[in-house]
Amino acid sequence: MKPTPLNPVLSQGKEKNAKTRSMKKTNRMGNILLIIVLLLGSLIMIVPFLWMVLTSFDWQARLNIPFPPRFWPEEFSLRTYTLAFTNIPMLKYIVNSLIISLGVIIISLTSALFSGYAISKLKFKGSSIVLVLALSTMMIPFEMTMIPQYLLFDKINLLDTYWAFYLPALNFAFGTFLAKSFIDQLPNTLREAGIIDGANEFLVFLKIYLPLCIPILATMVILQFLAVWNDLLWPLLALQTPDKYTIQLGLAMFSYNKDLPLPSVIMAATTVSLLPVIVTYLFLQRYIVESIALSGMKQ
Amino acid sequence: MPLKTEVPIRQKKARPKKKFFNSRDLAGYLFTAPLLIGIMGFAIYPMVAALIMSFKKSASSSAGEWVGLSNYQYVASDKMFWESIYNTFYMGIIAVVLGISLSFILASLIHNVTGLRWRNFFKAVYFLPNVVSLVATSILFTFLFNPGSEGLLNYVIGLVGIEPVGWFTDPSYSRFSIVLMTLWGMLGYNTIIFIAALTSVPRDLYEAAEIDGANWFKKWLYITIPYLRPIIIFMVIIGTINAMKRFTDVWLIGGTAGNPAGSLMTAVLYIYRNAFLSSQMGIATAASYILFMFILTLTIILLVTNRKSNFD
Repeated sequence: MKPTPLNPVLSQGKEKNAKTRSMKKTNRMGNILLIIVLLLGSLIMIVPFLWMVLTSFDWQARLNIPFPPRFWPEEFSLRTYTLAFTNIPMLKYIVNSLIISLGVIIISLTSALFSGYAISKLKFKGSSIVLVLALSTMMIPFEMTMIPQYLLFDKINLLDTYWAFYLPALNFAFGTFLAKSFIDQLPNTLREAGIIDGANEFLVFLKIYLPLCIPILATMVILQFLAVWNDLLWPLLALQTPDKYTIQLGLAMFSYNKDLPLPSVIMAATTVSLLPVIVTYLFLQRYIVESIALSGMKQ
Repeated sequence: MPLKTEVPIRQKKARPKKKFFNSRDLAGYLFTAPLLIGIMGFAIYPMVAALIMSFKKSASSSAGEWVGLSNYQYVASDKMFWESIYNTFYMGIIAVVLGISLSFILASLIHNVTGLRWRNFFKAVYFLPNVVSLVATSILFTFLFNPGSEGLLNYVIGLVGIEPVGWFTDPSYSRFSIVLMTLWGMLGYNTIIFIAALTSVPRDLYEAAEIDGANWFKKWLYITIPYLRPIIIFMVIIGTINAMKRFTDVWLIGGTAGNPAGSLMTAVLYIYRNAFLSSQMGIATAASYILFMFILTLTIILLVTNRKSNFD
């Protein structure tokens, strides 16, 4: 190939510059338009929350939602919150939910990390069978297994205890898969070096690989926390004593089948139930979005 | 070829330790033991137990007598079961189709915004309803969709002269109202996955198309859509599976009868009623296996159509 003459290239470049300049102008207009459209759409996502939070402070809305609907309460009051806390043991439920979330996170992450590491780096006899087993059981919906699982916990007398949450947490196949594909990207030589230096397999995992797994650990913590905190079906089946209810179950039981009396009181309770998740989301919002995108792409 | 394969075999044989399992295998079994116990106890055992239970006469796991296929016959001839399947599919199909197309449009819009800050802002805002529990969403929407004129949505449509609608109380609207609520809650999930996928489309493909004179629509049709097809198929599968499992919202809004007029009776609600209200474990597990077959068939059909279209 002959080198192209200099002139045409230069003139082409000039033409292109002029073109991009005019394009930039229309682009900027388009961008502003795009942002306006998306901002309007954002209102649909935000306004229901805003309305609920503001109405939860509306003392007049405790019996009936005022007509015409309003955002700003005529009578701002925290009494709705006092009522919510006296009618529903919210704090207890939140603490219960936190305990269950923490237990499930610790158990499921331990199970997933150890098995993910073993499948990825130890390549023991049958490791591929374990992987296939984990991947195929991942497809089984909980709704399929809930009845035998309920009867099982009934039989071993662990119904209405938090063991009904901790034990099934051992089966975290999706986490195993996430951990395995993350650890696949870490070099094998680290393990070999550790073994040569006289460390055993457990120490190699704990001291060398575990610290490198922090990013995927964080992702799994987020996924599991959201899943456990927001779950209703299994708590509904497994927990019978009101003292042990999770926040979702407590809230559901209070509002269930009552035609939602005391609107602003229920809204106050719902707002409180959302606080831990929303606060976490505000602080870790980018991280959470990345985690969900990553786990979704992996699946 | 034969020479090459022989070398590693010989090396393996030459290894000093020739035990049935070495320490590495042992560590592997110890490390995977918790997961294996979990899979055995909470995936394989329940699946087998449910299958056995579905052939037995109600009651708890061991008590009932063998009744063959009669539980399946009961479910298959139960009008309420087929209504629940119809409702589940009705809501599921609309939610999946609308959800995926809307979130794809939304993702394309957000992806094309210049300025990283704006993009992250929109991702965060549209994803927000996704972290909210279904319980809270259902309570919130019961107020928003209040059938009286004081409901926020009825008030808004009243401003343009539309009569108040019984969103959750009129059986001809209730299913669609549930779909609207689901869309509000789930749109962000699909959107951020689509955005991640859009970012992964190689830029040089677009540049090459631009040189060939393709406009944005052609680029979208011939590059973006084919490149994203696996993701779209994945979303359809996940969306369908999730739609088949619908329980929490319809239980909170319509109760165990799936009110209004049974229009919100879903398959899982049917299973729940039979298992935990009338203790008909046999019927419930038979229904859950029929539902599982539906899910499995759908998933396989989708995977096969995806593979087929990949060959074209």
